[in-house]
Amino acid sequence: MTLIDLFKSSVNRFPDNVAVKDRHHSLTYKELQSLADGLTTTLIDAGLVHGDRVGLLVDSSAQYVVAYLGILQAGCVAIPLNTDNSQRNLEFVLQQCGVKYLIGQSRYLSRYQLWSLDDISIICSDCSDVVNKGDEGPGRDFVRWEQAIEKSPDLDFPPNLSSADLACILFTSGTTGEPKGVMLSHGNLVANTRSIISYLHLKETDSVMAVLPFFYSYGSSLLHTHLAVGGTVHIEGQFVYPNKALERMAKERITGFAGVPSTFALLLHRSNFKKMEWPHLRYVTQAGGAMAPSLAKRLGDVLLDSDIYIMYGQTEATARLSYLPPDRFVDKLDSIGKAIPGVELRVVDEKGHQVIPGQIGEIIAKGENIMQGYWGQPEETANVLRDGWLYTGDLARVDEEGYIYIESRKSDMIKSGAHRISPKEIEEVLATWPGVHEVAVTGCPDPILGEAIWAFVVPEGNQALDHKAIIRHCRDNLASFKVPQRLIELIELPKTTSGKIKKTFLQGAGVQIRLKAEG
Amino acid sequence: MSVHDEIRQFIIDNFLMGQDSDSLKDDNSFLEEGVIDSTGVLELVGFLEENYEIKVEDEELIPENLDSIKNICAYLELKLSN
Repeated sequence: MTLIDLFKSSVNRFPDNVAVKDRHHSLTYKELQSLADGLTTTLIDAGLVHGDRVGLLVDSSAQYVVAYLGILQAGCVAIPLNTDNSQRNLEFVLQQCGVKYLIGQSRYLSRYQLWSLDDISIICSDCSDVVNKGDEGPGRDFVRWEQAIEKSPDLDFPPNLSSADLACILFTSGTTGEPKGVMLSHGNLVANTRSIISYLHLKETDSVMAVLPFFYSYGSSLLHTHLAVGGTVHIEGQFVYPNKALERMAKERITGFAGVPSTFALLLHRSNFKKMEWPHLRYVTQAGGAMAPSLAKRLGDVLLDSDIYIMYGQTEATARLSYLPPDRFVDKLDSIGKAIPGVELRVVDEKGHQVIPGQIGEIIAKGENIMQGYWGQPEETANVLRDGWLYTGDLARVDEEGYIYIESRKSDMIKSGAHRISPKEIEEVLATWPGVHEVAVTGCPDPILGEAIWAFVVPEGNQALDHKAIIRHCRDNLASFKVPQRLIELIELPKTTSGKIKKTFLQGAGVQIRLKAEG
Repeated sequence: MSVHDEIRQFIIDNFLMGQDSDSLKDDNSFLEEGVIDSTGVLELVGFLEENYEIKVEDEELIPENLDSIKNICAYLELKLSN
């Protein structure tokens, strides 16, 4: 069974249901299939074969969904790329994966100077006005999106796809600073999709408002689950103006909503969410880091008639590992619940023995949703996949009833908004600025983002540092969501006797500074 | 510096990240051009509230008020006149 099989089953059962709807386009299942068929034919005619990698640098949109399905149907591996990125990072990913074709918007192809990558063929998704090889064009050949999807479908595809075939590679921040490509097979996607469908009780009458990007596992799971049941995915790309998304949710009678803690902080603090009524909203889900209990409680106070699912997962597990049943939302507010169907979760000590209730250990997971490994990184893979278990790096305890509570993460990854950010990459960029002697980057609590990025820098000698210039330097070399919100100068960094920087001490200092500033 | 120039400079300094600022027209939609994200809107609101001593209400967080330099200037003019 593959993701394409799930999609085709929906096409057969619900051809006229709306599958995806963004601000400009609405596509039924039948129409979505037809457009995806066109792209699949183009890719196969271009010589792409089973397992070839195709990059996808497109905003969350109906077009993205067509491209994603077209790639998978051709037997190729989709590489969804973060559109808020840096040129360095993108080139690294494209090169590391040996990407042969890239489907991208001209805005991003120009911003990240990807037109010059001669060995990658490009399908430009919004280049109807751009002249091929013309004076004002990118100076190279490319295929227009309109051409790519208009081909008559070749009846011979799909090639013999199986559940073991790789479907996509999702990139996450690595602890070393370099991104890691999580390889997910069709079997992984199908297993996780079915499991989520079963505990959320999704069916063809369901519709979800997707405000999370599809290049992250949480966003893509919304797509997979709804396409598998014949439901509708309403796409509100960037969630820039929450009130607009809320208006759409009310008007379209949306039944489901998914967010990370910062999504709900934004809704509860800076939108009309709490003033509106939500009679059609059957459920909301929250994942992507711990939500402050006070925020969760406020959410519960607003959504008295909707089910609230607190969930936990990792890209390495396709998306989802556990959920807290809505009927335990009040009494187990800070728990991530128990394993989802088809997944086994354990909390183990350093010797691999399950801990007793109250004791802290690492969460490990087993199931058909666990990734195939990290692309081209066997050592990193071996670090987390051991004896058939995924070692999540998250430390937790269980209670007497078996509910799991996250205590902390093993790594010092920052969780800001929907992003997991490695401090190392930011530290490396800051360290290249002349006059910076030493630097430490950490996440400090933020009411909207969950964690904001704070950089602590030690100047060389008595040099005065130009903070604005340093931030500009970060903007030039990092994705915008990785640019530090605060830059603080210190005479020296706090360290342990072994020389390791005490980041928890810096986080504490950050909290004190913040409290002082807020009076 | 006029209010218009201050707004424009803020957008260039904070969201354009070294890109060609000349191409940003006053009526370009930040959303359509991918200039701003949800965090960026909050930064913009913080800037307006701090610099012009206004309170941006939750229901005013809409593209009609904030999604272009032109819209922001019109919104500010209205707020300041009240």
